[in-house]
Amino acid sequence: MSRIELTDLRKEFGSVVAVKDLNLTIEDGEFIVLVGPSGCGKTTTLRMIAGFEDPTAGEIKLDGTVVNDLEPRDRDLGMVFQSHALFPHKNVADNIVFGLRMKNVGKEEQLQKLHEVSDLVRISHLLTKMPAQCSGGESQRIALARTLVTEPSNFLLDEPLSSLDAKLRRELRAECDRLHAELQKTFVYVTHDQEEAMTLADRIVVMDQGVIVQMGSPIDIYSDPVSYFVADFFGNPAMNLIPGEFVKNGSGIEFKSDQFNVPLNEKFSSVPIGSGTFGIRPENVQVVSSNSDSNRKIGLVEPLGKDTLLYFETDSDRPFVAVVDGTENHTAGSPVELNFPQENIFLFDSNGDRIRA
Amino acid sequence: MAMTMSQKRNTFSAFRYFILTIWLLIVAFPMFWMVGTSFKPDKEWFAWPPVYITENATVRNYLIVWANINEYTKADGAHIDEKTGELSQYTQSLQRPWVALRNSTIIAGIATTLAVLFGGVLAYGVSRHNIISEGKMFQLLMLRMVPPIVLIAPISLWYRQIGLLDTITGLVLLYFLTSLPYAVWMAKSFIDEVPREMEQAAEILGASRWRTIWEIVLPLVRSGLVATFLFILILTWSEYLLALLLSKSEVLTLPVELSKYQGSTEGRVYGRQAALSVGITIPLIFVGLIIRKHLARGFSFGMVRR
Amino acid sequence: MTAEQTIGENLPLTGRAASRAQGIRRFKWTVLTPFFALLIFILMPALIAQVFFSLNHFSIFDAGDDDGWRSYLNASEWIGLELFIEVFNDERFLNACIRSLLFASGSTLGCFIVGFGLALLMYRPFRGQALYYIFFILPMLTVPIVIAYTGEMILYQNGPLNDILSRITGMRIDAQFLYKKEIALTTIAFLEVWNWTPFSFIIMMAGLAALPQEPQEAAKILGASKWRIFWEIQLPLLRPVILLCLILRFLESMAEFPKTWGLLQGGPGSATETIPVYIFITTWQYFDISYGAALSYVVLILMVAIVWAGIYFLQREKKNLDEMYFARPDSE
Repeated sequence: MSRIELTDLRKEFGSVVAVKDLNLTIEDGEFIVLVGPSGCGKTTTLRMIAGFEDPTAGEIKLDGTVVNDLEPRDRDLGMVFQSHALFPHKNVADNIVFGLRMKNVGKEEQLQKLHEVSDLVRISHLLTKMPAQCSGGESQRIALARTLVTEPSNFLLDEPLSSLDAKLRRELRAECDRLHAELQKTFVYVTHDQEEAMTLADRIVVMDQGVIVQMGSPIDIYSDPVSYFVADFFGNPAMNLIPGEFVKNGSGIEFKSDQFNVPLNEKFSSVPIGSGTFGIRPENVQVVSSNSDSNRKIGLVEPLGKDTLLYFETDSDRPFVAVVDGTENHTAGSPVELNFPQENIFLFDSNGDRIRA
Repeated sequence: MAMTMSQKRNTFSAFRYFILTIWLLIVAFPMFWMVGTSFKPDKEWFAWPPVYITENATVRNYLIVWANINEYTKADGAHIDEKTGELSQYTQSLQRPWVALRNSTIIAGIATTLAVLFGGVLAYGVSRHNIISEGKMFQLLMLRMVPPIVLIAPISLWYRQIGLLDTITGLVLLYFLTSLPYAVWMAKSFIDEVPREMEQAAEILGASRWRTIWEIVLPLVRSGLVATFLFILILTWSEYLLALLLSKSEVLTLPVELSKYQGSTEGRVYGRQAALSVGITIPLIFVGLIIRKHLARGFSFGMVRR
Repeated sequence: MTAEQTIGENLPLTGRAASRAQGIRRFKWTVLTPFFALLIFILMPALIAQVFFSLNHFSIFDAGDDDGWRSYLNASEWIGLELFIEVFNDERFLNACIRSLLFASGSTLGCFIVGFGLALLMYRPFRGQALYYIFFILPMLTVPIVIAYTGEMILYQNGPLNDILSRITGMRIDAQFLYKKEIALTTIAFLEVWNWTPFSFIIMMAGLAALPQEPQEAAKILGASKWRIFWEIQLPLLRPVILLCLILRFLESMAEFPKTWGLLQGGPGSATETIPVYIFITTWQYFDISYGAALSYVVLILMVAIVWAGIYFLQREKKNLDEMYFARPDSE
């Protein structure tokens, strides 16, 4: 059983506050992903758990014991680094057994574990090579193996896939998932890639400027973002977010911008009057072909196969996007009507906080 | 008429070889002359027109200079004491190249070892824990850049006072101080290249601090430290001023030994000088060629980025 | 960071952080103590003695040979700043300064131009590159005093240089490279250039090879000529390396001694009497320790100022570079 608790954790570098009074409990066996843009404090948090950074204030508990004063090697952790950090002067096998040697494990056991773990991550054919002779994907598997072999209760992974190309990344993502399922250990995974977060996490922790913005399952985060920032960060293509104003319109309230006027139904009657943002995910936009007097015209058609993306020009710097089924036939320039189902609408106030119905 | 690309390239290539070969000759000629002269018999040293490649090659110069084979005769222009028939004192004092070689080796060896050991440890501290600020690191360069001539007189008097004058220790200490800046800077540039993550990976796998340094850092910077060592060896080996003024007779070094030939009153003995010069230079060239790939590191002070 | 309050400075370090900070401190002083001890033990007394000698009239001939410092005190007489005034009115010193500056700037420029030129011709791979490289670094691996004496063998009146020049030009050339007042200093500067061009060459090679390729290719595609790429892209990017080359070379040639002394001892006349040579002659040939000390102090202060300026420029360039390469301090 292994549980990581962070209490009021804070880290300052000079006058910069990297992590602001963070509270987080990571349950045993959980796959948790810390995600956010660069500079949000996610890596600093991970490095504090590992023991490479000392918190300015706050506590780190592993299994109920405060470990602030323990050296990294005494914390029962494994870590995989972004750069892989393989020892270039040792061959793959020596890299993998390094941790066992440090723990004075007998020669025979070393060998046995070496073969177990290299079978597990499928690198048995590489054992006699030097790290420099291995590809990026292979290096990352070796780094994983080196960490796995010491059987720590918690795995910390610091953007482990960000140096790999897209195809390898998908492949190794699946590998991480499989390993987690097989080992049932706690994984703390840091990434700036929302897709990685969505596919891997049991629970996502979204961070921005040193604080946790939202926590929850990938579906929660996707379907119920608490703020403009989260709504914008998750989803590909990103949510359409249109700046404008909420105005009174007879008995109801209407969202008004230069190009879009959307009447809101009675469940939004408590929306405060004033400026704000209207959001809707591209896949929820309903596109209806219309007669030629509609002034809304398709700007660009981007067929992706299964789906097709339609782009509409707007006044803001980002286009409005709609996703339609790949079988539908659209051409650029043709007039359409856009409908926004009320149940899929997200509204945000001028601070970027979500306005709930 | 416009030239095509390949014509242009050929012209450039020819131009390049031409210029480079001229400089090659300029570089090589003194070397050639030094080696050539060392094999010339006495009468060809000053011959006009000069003898470029001698037909009477002899190793006599080497034998006289290095093997102390005393073949001086009047014909060689040596001062021979009329009464005793022995070589005059001054000429005798020239015959100590092996002592000088021994001294040079010991002094340069010890000073360099100390500088690299000390500089390496210091550089590790600077690279990993910032124990000296960048500003202070640059100030350290003062030790090397301020000309030693301005302090050498009082140092010599002070050395006499405390019994360090004309001792190996005295020279070693000063060489250590003056080569430390280069040692620290050069070692630091190699240590900086070992990613911190590498050390952290070892640490989290259970390695202690010393184990990490011993098993991870040291093997990765070893070739760099060897280069640092050899680079500083070159500097201390060829140092002249301090060696001249802080040694009298006991700790004669090779450059000082060589300069005694120039000061001799019986005229120039080019062949002997050349034979000694070749002996002094060969170890350095050998060492320099080993570390030629690392030389740029020695004095780029972090200004060259890859 | 706006109004966010930082609390780090007010908190005492705790536990591991404190013990680690203490460990680093202990490490730092363990390493630095012997170093400072050496400075205090060797350089400090010398500096103090230098002050003493420069403010007192002292003659080594009056001092007994074995009594040590007591005899120095007995043999000296307080004269205050008199010697310093003398230094500032010393025309010979002024000339030495001018010679040193000429020698240092001339040889620095020479080293740089030749070194940079060779590097420009050589930094892209070609057949024979390695071989040329090896030959071109040889002069730096040669002991300066050896260069001085070998230089003399080549440069003296009946030496091979005059012969070669005569053969090339078809005239009898009979130059006294070393013993003519007008050219002796230049000759030594050439030896210095021969000796230290490899230094500039190696640094510039490394600098050129490390230049990022993309901006140059981008400029090429944008239609820039080779010449413009050199002026507008390569040269600005090389600025730190160039400054490094010039500054280090200048400082080292200000202190050049083995060649000037070994070859000509300041002669002919005083044509090659640079600052180090003048101090050397005053102190070690005239045994005018006091005047030598005053001279040394003036030169020391002058050089410290020059070195300080040089270091300041280097440090600024390094800082610029660091900022260029690690642009975002907040990035993770």
